[in-house]
Amino acid sequence: MRDERIDELRFVAIGPVPDALLRDVVVRVSRALDLPCRIVPADGDVRPAPMDGRAQVDADRLLAEVERRATTPGAVLVALAAADMGNPIFTHFFGRARLGGRAAVVSLARLSPAFYGLAADAGVSARRAALEVLHEFGHLAGLGHCADPACLMRLAHNVEAIDVRGTGFCDACASRLPRDLQTRRTALDRGRS
Amino acid sequence: MSPPEPFRVLVVDDETIVRESLGGWFREDGCRVDTASSGKEALRLAAEGRHDLALLDIKMPGMDGLELQARLAEVAPELTIIVMTAYASVETAVRALKQGAYDYIVKPFDPDELSMLVRRAQEHRSLRTENRRLKENLEAAAAPPPMIGDSPAMRHVMELVKSVAPTEATVLVQGASGTGKELVARALHAASPRRWNPLVTVHCGALAEGLLESELFGHEKGAFTGAAYHHKGKFEQADGGTIFLDEIGEVSPKVQVELLRVLEEKTVTRVGGKEPVPADFRVVAATNRDLAALAREGKFREDLFWRLNVVPITIPSLAERPGDVVQLANHFLARFARQMNIRELSFTEEAIAALEAHSWPGNVRELQNAIERAVVLGKPPLIRAEDLPLAVSSSPRPGGRTLADVEKAHIASVLAETGWNITHAATVCAVDRGTLYHKIERHGLAKPAHAR
Repeated sequence: MRDERIDELRFVAIGPVPDALLRDVVVRVSRALDLPCRIVPADGDVRPAPMDGRAQVDADRLLAEVERRATTPGAVLVALAAADMGNPIFTHFFGRARLGGRAAVVSLARLSPAFYGLAADAGVSARRAALEVLHEFGHLAGLGHCADPACLMRLAHNVEAIDVRGTGFCDACASRLPRDLQTRRTALDRGRS
Repeated sequence: MSPPEPFRVLVVDDETIVRESLGGWFREDGCRVDTASSGKEALRLAAEGRHDLALLDIKMPGMDGLELQARLAEVAPELTIIVMTAYASVETAVRALKQGAYDYIVKPFDPDELSMLVRRAQEHRSLRTENRRLKENLEAAAAPPPMIGDSPAMRHVMELVKSVAPTEATVLVQGASGTGKELVARALHAASPRRWNPLVTVHCGALAEGLLESELFGHEKGAFTGAAYHHKGKFEQADGGTIFLDEIGEVSPKVQVELLRVLEEKTVTRVGGKEPVPADFRVVAATNRDLAALAREGKFREDLFWRLNVVPITIPSLAERPGDVVQLANHFLARFARQMNIRELSFTEEAIAALEAHSWPGNVRELQNAIERAVVLGKPPLIRAEDLPLAVSSSPRPGGRTLADVEKAHIASVLAETGWNITHAATVCAVDRGTLYHKIERHGLAKPAHAR
């Protein structure tokens, strides 16, 4: 379980992320978590390291760079990257975060229907991105993966799995959240149903 | 119910980043992970921990993945192995698969593919485990049933069973009712190379002639009224296995002729059929009658008798092996206690004395039934003499039919039942203590050492 309180989420765009998409993701996450979320200016120094022979950035090195900048107490930093992410071992990641860490990275590339030859849909991209942010937020809050198909913390290796898994924490995961977050029962689609 | 054990994974790669990245990935997925940077370390870890899955890099300095795979097969033969390679080399992959690897995967890994591969490996692993467990259960079920007894007569039977079981020889088991002829047939089958195939039992005495023919040899559709379908007979059902012909002495002369033909030709012609069907069976027959005498009297075909009497095994009656009674009784007591979930159960000394004094005309079956009834009706943890239903079936031991013989046997039986409590025994026999003492002395009855 995480020791330090999380009072705020800060979002930063890495690379050419459309403003509207960034704002949409932030609003969705803010509503779901009921926590203050704000966009901070893109840090020009964060230059994702390209991977040899692959049109991708190294997710682990990118996460390390973002973590170095996450220094504000009580705030976690979430980087939304336009680039596709992988590492020498895995072909791709949707998101990366360390358990109980202070920063997370989410790649938007594979969350867009356009990546799979379909028509681009900003709404679909934003929903998937918000779900990935919430999943990585779960890791930052100290949660591991969950076997419950209806839980947000279930592992998803493809976009179909992101689309069909639950949008909130299951009871078991919710009970493991830090006490101050337990009252903020996450549900992305809150208010819709 | 305890939670399922986590899946145990061993990641072997000389590159730190691979070990860290894959290890972290499996840990996030709830697995227990060990990592090794060399084949030597992997062998040590595999020998220590019981891993379910190992991912081995093909190219490593020193011992490469393929050599490691071969060595792991010796150290941990149950381990499921997935080989990792940087390039999709068909040659290497084929070698790995030929050596018994479950699959191979090319770096970098698509998390989706790796996840599916691991899930399939988990299923494969659990199927193998289940398969092994089923095989063990099957082995246990097919194991020869225990034959209890230390008497020379019983040891002779066991020796015979042991030496004749692995052969194809026909066996004729003889013995009084309840001595365990079917047990011997099962032991013969279970210790034979035919044990994985059926043991088919036919109670020949229980069926009328026509029905027995149909049961033994089968029938074709329309062979007789009511034969709506063709039916495989017991000889065909026993194909590859053993047919146990119980109560063979009760078979009618007509069926005896047909049996002789089937035994000689190893083919069966179904009732109403024309074509003989080949059948591969071994015969064990049993009877409680003196088949040789029946043959001499012309009541049983002599040629069939000789065909069956290749290896005769005669089971002694329980009265002929009184020394085995207590051992058998304890065996049944343990079995029924287990079946009825009773932890501690034993006989009182009086109960042992009563068991030893009884003549057991119904043989082992009577003893088994007596113990079962005592376990059901008795009060654990002790089975007392009065819990044993011996008085009803008790009969004098063989040895004479004079009044004196009967009196001696009866007094001995009552004394055994009462644990040589003279007052109690005198009450049961409706005589005074003095008369009983006198009779004990006259008949030369001596108090056994274990009686109180």
